[in-house]
Amino acid sequence: MTVQHSSFSAALLAFGLAGLLAGCGGSGSADSSGSTGGTAQPTPEASVSAAASVGEKIFKDISLSASGKMSCATCHDPANAHAPANNLSVQLGGAKLDVPGFRATPSLRYLNLTPAFFFDKDGTPTGGFTHDGRAQTLAQQAETPFLAPHEMANRDRADVVAKLQRSAYVSEFKAAFGATIFENTDSAFERALFALQQYQKEDKDFHPYDSKYDQFLAGKAALNEAELRGLALFNNPSKGNCIGCHSSAKGADGSSPLFTDFTYDNLGVPRNYAIPATADAAYADLGLCGPDRTDLKARTDLCGAFKVPSLRNVATRKVFFHNGRFTSLRDAVSFYVRRDTNPEEWYPLAADGSVMKFDDLPAAYLKNVNTTEVPYNRQRGMAAALSPAEVDDVVKFLATLNDGYKN
Amino acid sequence: MKKTLLAQALCVAFLSTAIAAPVQAGEAELLQKIEKLAAELEAIKAELAANRQQTVAQKQEVLATSVAAAASVSSSPSASVSTQGSAAAPATVISSYGEIAYTRPRDAANQAQTDVGRAVLGISHRFNEKTKMVAEFEWEHAVTSADDQGEAAVEQIYVEHEFKNGLSAKAGLFLIPAGFINPSHEPTAYYGVQRNFVETAIIPTTWREAGFSVSGAHDNGLSWDAGITTGFDLTKWDAAGSDAKESPLGSIHQEGQFAKSHDLSLHAALNWRGVPGLLLGASVFSGKAGHATTDFVANDARVTLWDAHARYTPGNWDLSALYARGSISNTEALNLTLAGNPSPVPSSFYGWYLQGAYKVWSNTDYSLTPFIRYEQFNTAASYSAMPQGLAVAASEAEKVTTVGASFRIGEGVVLKADFQKFQRDSAMDRFNLGVGYSF
Repeated sequence: MTVQHSSFSAALLAFGLAGLLAGCGGSGSADSSGSTGGTAQPTPEASVSAAASVGEKIFKDISLSASGKMSCATCHDPANAHAPANNLSVQLGGAKLDVPGFRATPSLRYLNLTPAFFFDKDGTPTGGFTHDGRAQTLAQQAETPFLAPHEMANRDRADVVAKLQRSAYVSEFKAAFGATIFENTDSAFERALFALQQYQKEDKDFHPYDSKYDQFLAGKAALNEAELRGLALFNNPSKGNCIGCHSSAKGADGSSPLFTDFTYDNLGVPRNYAIPATADAAYADLGLCGPDRTDLKARTDLCGAFKVPSLRNVATRKVFFHNGRFTSLRDAVSFYVRRDTNPEEWYPLAADGSVMKFDDLPAAYLKNVNTTEVPYNRQRGMAAALSPAEVDDVVKFLATLNDGYKN
Repeated sequence: MKKTLLAQALCVAFLSTAIAAPVQAGEAELLQKIEKLAAELEAIKAELAANRQQTVAQKQEVLATSVAAAASVSSSPSASVSTQGSAAAPATVISSYGEIAYTRPRDAANQAQTDVGRAVLGISHRFNEKTKMVAEFEWEHAVTSADDQGEAAVEQIYVEHEFKNGLSAKAGLFLIPAGFINPSHEPTAYYGVQRNFVETAIIPTTWREAGFSVSGAHDNGLSWDAGITTGFDLTKWDAAGSDAKESPLGSIHQEGQFAKSHDLSLHAALNWRGVPGLLLGASVFSGKAGHATTDFVANDARVTLWDAHARYTPGNWDLSALYARGSISNTEALNLTLAGNPSPVPSSFYGWYLQGAYKVWSNTDYSLTPFIRYEQFNTAASYSAMPQGLAVAASEAEKVTTVGASFRIGEGVVLKADFQKFQRDSAMDRFNLGVGYSF
């Protein structure tokens, strides 16, 4: 027995020592193979589902609109990060493409990981699609543009389905969802929405993660000095504090940052008189509490809050904020830091010369505006959280979030 | 008569060690118990000297015999009082420890708080004379649910096999032998209501890793540990949050939960107890922390932590000192991506303390031991170089003095009280009260 024990002990010790040695050398040499191991994997495009494939055709089909000239891609231009290529505050739709909308068109990029709307344990509204989060899924979100009078302006679901049945890809649609899919209008319509959702979820064009910043995070590209300064100001909780809502770091699971925490904020964005609806002084777009969203009408504390968008591709946008009030990224960033220190730059003056701050909100909701977090915690006359030169740096950093960076 | 007295004293010491021997805390705690026993023997030695009934040689012989006996008993599961030794010890033993603390900031009484810091159940089973398993299950902060801050964790679960007297190996999830408190963290084992800052902020506590380790002990008082385990995960670093500033390694340890294991770490510890009442020791732990994560810029980062510690327990005195220092290398590129955040990855962090305690009063059932501890620690002593204007200033060391007392009821229960003075931020000064037990 003793002999057996000794030899077993020796074997175990030898095993342990071998392990120790392996730990010394092994961990150093295997890194490179690990980091390049993903190259042999099939690309997502090669494996998109039949639904996603037909979804792409629906996305680009102008025949599905009342005008016969408008598809999803018209406003969500793939060449412009799936956002409008023009600088209109609100897009024009309807049968004659002359009906103005009410809100700026968001990009469809990086929406695949957006959770359905919910209140987190602190009561913070989170997630959901569109500016007010009323759509719980990408599929649900896709219904509104088909039917809205100021967008594709179809009469009803049957109208869309009828057009779908006349499309060149109807057989592909049937192949994806069954030969009898058109026997039920609602089913056919909802399958079309599902197809659009799957296209956005599965096609890497909607979430390529190939910006300069992504490559910088991976150690494959370097930010220049101004961009680095901009990043530091963006992250700094006492300067830009942009990461308060627009997360910039990789997740604990290694996931790439989406530059949004999916929450809602009330920024007190100035009224945009370029939107025809504002001709009516009583018109107010209050985001979470209406008018488009109806289930939170009673939550007056949420009036004026809009979804925090991803900042990926923000530098490709032509208009900014839910109402498209700003047409330059520099102005948009400046607004954050000078809204309170220099309100006269952003809001109209009353007859008595006073500044009509937060002029797009009814008086009862002015208190909802975020005035506590950096950089909104200032008052008139104080120094802005960022100097003009620092704003320039932040803008330069934001440009590193554009997809399609070629190193 | 004197011999009887000595025998009784030794028997009490022997049995108390056997009863208190916590199977859950591993070899290091066992050795600490031996060290305590050695201190008690010192007292006996003094008594014997006073009576001039024994020669020095005899005393040394008694001491050596007792330590050996204690080692034998302590390496077995906790024995019941009725047994005469390890042979009759039960095969399966349940153990436990727990602590409840009340904390009242000196200048902010409205923030006074009471917390069930931890409640731990341990179970060990001896398969045969040489092989046993040890497990510890912990609840922290009383309630654990999706909406609460509590935590339920497997703190240790390992199998240990003894090859021969003084040489054993274990595999599983076990405590890393660094410093005093990590291997021996029961509330009865340390002074102060809260564990000291150095051994929570610099050496994470309770710090366990999964892996394999070998331990040895020699007659000359030297004992050692060496092993290979999982290590830290630097991809978990949260530069925007406060956890990383409070405990750099505590924020990135993996606790055996789906632990990334591409990079394994090595550890070693050496302790010497060649002089009764004296313990001198040191430990080192080192391993890479990037785990070949795709598109992660710090895959070459290495975390290293070492400590040196000393404890001297002559008579009623209990004096200790500890120095711990950690480093994280190759973080330049990672910190660039974290520019502007309040807590980039530090390249070094350290802490040390001096502690003195004196048992002013004791009888069969109770003892009272006041103590004082002075500690300095800095969780971000330096950072790797950053481009001009982007660097974050290194932190200043926090300096804390703790004065208090432990009132022990028997071997397993302790009532504690202390006051902590923070030199840099006096707003943190606080009074603490606590109760703890361990069996």
